[in-house]
Amino acid sequence: MNNLSRRTPLCEAMTDGAGPGGITAALETPLWKVRLMLFWRGLKSNYNLFRQNPVGLIGLGIIVFFFLFMTAHPILMSTVWDPNVYNPVTGHDLTLAYHPSPPSATHLLGTDPLGRDVLSQLMWSTRAAFMLGIVTALITVIVATTVGSISAYFGGLVDAIFMRLADLIIMTPVITILIVISSLIDVQLIHLALVLGLLGGFGGTTIIIKSQALTIKVRAYIEAARVAGGNDAHIITHHIIPNLMPLSFLYMMFSVTNAIFSESVLSFFGLLNIRMSWGLMIYTTSYSGYLLDFQRWWLIFPASVSISLLCAAFYLVGRALDEVINPRLRKR
Amino acid sequence: MTRYVLRRLAQNVLTFFIFLTAVYLLLDAQPGDYGNIWLSDPRLTPAQRQALRANLGLDKPVLERYGLWLRNIARGDFGISFSNYPKPVLDVIFERAPRTIVLFLTSTILAYYLGFLMGKILAWKRGGVVEYGTTVVGVSLYTVFLPWFALMMVWLFAYTLGLFPIGKFIDPLFWRRAPIDANTVFHRMLLTAFISTLLVFVLSNFTRRLNPRQRRPAFWGGFAVVVAAVIGYWASTGVAQYALDILRHLVLPIGTLAIVNFAGIMLLTRNSMLETQREDYIMTARAKGLPEKVVRDRHAARNALLPVATSFILAIAFVLDGGVITETIFSWPGMGLTLLEAALRQDIPMVIGALVFTGIMALTGHLLADILYAFLDPRIRYS
Amino acid sequence: MSDTILKVDDLTMHYTTRAGDVWAVDNVSFSLKKGEALGLVGESGCGKTSIATTLLRLLPENAVIKGGHIYLDGLELISLKEEEMRKVRWHRISMVFQAAMNALNPVHKVGDQILEAMENHRLVESNEAARQHIASLFRLVGLDPRLMQQYPHEFSGGMRQRAIIAMALSCNPDLIIADEPTTALDVIVQDKLLREMIELQNKLEMSMIYISHDIAVIAEVSDRMGVMYAGRLVELASTTEIFKHPLHPYTHGLMSAFPSIVGPKRKLTILPGEPPNLLHPPPGCRFHPRCPFATMICSEQTPEFRDLGDNHYVACWHPMEAGR
Repeated sequence: MNNLSRRTPLCEAMTDGAGPGGITAALETPLWKVRLMLFWRGLKSNYNLFRQNPVGLIGLGIIVFFFLFMTAHPILMSTVWDPNVYNPVTGHDLTLAYHPSPPSATHLLGTDPLGRDVLSQLMWSTRAAFMLGIVTALITVIVATTVGSISAYFGGLVDAIFMRLADLIIMTPVITILIVISSLIDVQLIHLALVLGLLGGFGGTTIIIKSQALTIKVRAYIEAARVAGGNDAHIITHHIIPNLMPLSFLYMMFSVTNAIFSESVLSFFGLLNIRMSWGLMIYTTSYSGYLLDFQRWWLIFPASVSISLLCAAFYLVGRALDEVINPRLRKR
Repeated sequence: MTRYVLRRLAQNVLTFFIFLTAVYLLLDAQPGDYGNIWLSDPRLTPAQRQALRANLGLDKPVLERYGLWLRNIARGDFGISFSNYPKPVLDVIFERAPRTIVLFLTSTILAYYLGFLMGKILAWKRGGVVEYGTTVVGVSLYTVFLPWFALMMVWLFAYTLGLFPIGKFIDPLFWRRAPIDANTVFHRMLLTAFISTLLVFVLSNFTRRLNPRQRRPAFWGGFAVVVAAVIGYWASTGVAQYALDILRHLVLPIGTLAIVNFAGIMLLTRNSMLETQREDYIMTARAKGLPEKVVRDRHAARNALLPVATSFILAIAFVLDGGVITETIFSWPGMGLTLLEAALRQDIPMVIGALVFTGIMALTGHLLADILYAFLDPRIRYS
Repeated sequence: MSDTILKVDDLTMHYTTRAGDVWAVDNVSFSLKKGEALGLVGESGCGKTSIATTLLRLLPENAVIKGGHIYLDGLELISLKEEEMRKVRWHRISMVFQAAMNALNPVHKVGDQILEAMENHRLVESNEAARQHIASLFRLVGLDPRLMQQYPHEFSGGMRQRAIIAMALSCNPDLIIADEPTTALDVIVQDKLLREMIELQNKLEMSMIYISHDIAVIAEVSDRMGVMYAGRLVELASTTEIFKHPLHPYTHGLMSAFPSIVGPKRKLTILPGEPPNLLHPPPGCRFHPRCPFATMICSEQTPEFRDLGDNHYVACWHPMEAGR
């Protein structure tokens, strides 16, 4: 189906492009321009479908909010916030005698047990969440798309090996394994992104992408490309992978959710070598003994809500995209 | 059918072997070994250290050590847990594994039962506030940060309302004078649960073959007898109050894990039902004059169950991870907590033992899901 | 009129869609005597199946019955409550479904699916009696009774269709609607099954409505036939009468589109154009854009469905005469 959404704009572009001379005009423009135009049109029509889904828009709104939240931090730090007081890792407010202090005009979300500003920590940690999410999602999708299209295209032994591997990874409790690894060796954010990305890429996402690639493989234009003399690499890179992109993009969203969740759990157990993250904020609360002290809600709620919200946001966008890509889920 | 199960079994044994190798190599590839970690006492001379290393087999090449390890595991020798010294790893597993299995099984069954029930009702009532509300609740539960959710459960039900204990497996004060130890009571509880489930299963299969008018009374009569027998047995043992204490400690961990998993199943069931709804046989069922509830349950839901059963395979890892987190928050001493503690204390034999147990759980779950699927789908069963 | 089992008066039903109303059934009237077989024929999308689903009131949520009455042996069905209608389904009117492939639920045994219908209408005293009844039904439709312990995927297309016929007979209904009963089958099985259905119908003196796009099938099985076009019944008469003297140009066109092996060799004519979009049906007679004999009045006024003698009803301003 995603194939349709990529192909139909071509016809539109050629027929209603520029009146009677549309076809010749389309043929005279350089190929990259046509491709760009097609891409833009596809994006626009898909966005229009996406827009009809309020759930997806809510998700997108949350993501945009956190993005602004993240970019506001360095601006605040260089203008209104004193780095000695508001630094998310090393700051300390000496004017207050007692930490953790409740929300006040100077500290909108109060301070943590070590006297650091919670809002500043919260904003600064957003960057780690986004970076981890995006790097993981990119690795997942690149690996899954490559492996999925190769095993769909060639089949046989290659396919069997990759699919058994995927079966194995699907059954692996990743967080449990990561707990073990991170307690034994020093794990940083980038390592985590790499591990999560590879596990995701060789795991469940591959299976879904491969089954989609199988349906593309049997389409007529693949046969046409082969008859026209395209070799295997050309067909995979120019015909199969471009048609897998919408689905890959969809699974990027789900792997972001997954990555943020895993990072938070590991930080929550204090197992990750990271300077500051939402999970670590809860860990700090936990080892200072305030874990069940819900009266001091600012110690645990902002970070937990942020984790849950950002996870939910990417999940919601994923679900909405799913409805754009799989028309059978759409309401009629 | 038998051939299908055997093939799956063989595949799983192979996967298990790969898993064992992966676990061993993963832990073997850690920087440093026991020699560095546990023998760093400065009073040891290099010669003593060498001897100890040789004693632990650390001077042998990787493959040979791996072979030795496999042979020991096959004999059931997982070594001695450092953090529970001098208890062997296998004893720790035998003590704690039943708890995790109970947590896993009960919460999964609850989650699937409730999720499926809600999902199918949701699909039949499309649109309106109900659908929107439940979708929002479902998505929030599906993506909520599990440790935080568990904390809120503790805070609400244990800390504020005082309905359940805050954590742990038993209440030590209450058990001080107990004539029996907790594991014995727990094992008896498991046995009771297993036997009564089996009886109810046999009963439901038997009563289904009776004439239409006798079915309900026969089933509920038999069910009442089973319940009465269970209550009678526990009343006669005289340790019922201790069993109740264990149950009270079980409620929150199981409830938390079930609620979190339930959401995903509900959303999936709803989607699956929406697809099944358009099938021709749903029209046939309606044309037969069946009440909507029967059309929904016996025809639509029965078919919508198939993808939901498949999803169980994907959910195993999720539930196992969730189990580790839940056990930690509730300090509920199952295999998950054991694994985390062992990992934090560098108790490698225990970590390996816990990982092997987790692997067995995952593979058994997979096998059970495969068999269940074959039972649910006659097209698989007879081919 | 006591031998009339079904009487449909001015039945009108449409689907509301985002694009507008789709007039699927428009002022359709016909009646059916006990033991009679009525055939409804027409191109796909002309509202044949909609009539069947309206008779059983098995309509999707966006369908609205705008008017008309359905009398089943004197009982008015449109005004029945859902709960009462449920008792009519299968017990009084049953259906042999189109697309035999999916009409049986893949996860239940075929016998159980029949048993379920009987149990639902409280026709089962004991399991043994019910099993014997189903076994006799299986024998009646030419299936081995042992097959009732099997699942639909183990049946071939023809066997499934037979099982569905057995299921339709299970509650001894007053009326059976067969919607494209043989379309999914290959020609030889189709022919055999049709013959058996005619035999069964005569033996059990069933009242039946056959629905098909295939005029040859309708000709073979029905005593009377109705021709539908764009949601309207345009012609209704005994099958022999229609084949001898088709009065509506559409009926004529429909018959010329099929080759005849018995009659003299003639040129096959294909009806030009397509059936109209029911969202915006043409005014007046809906056939006029495709009709070779259309005049001004055809595009302005809807022709009445009238009796031209011998119970030969037609809705046309310029009914054809024999020999034209």
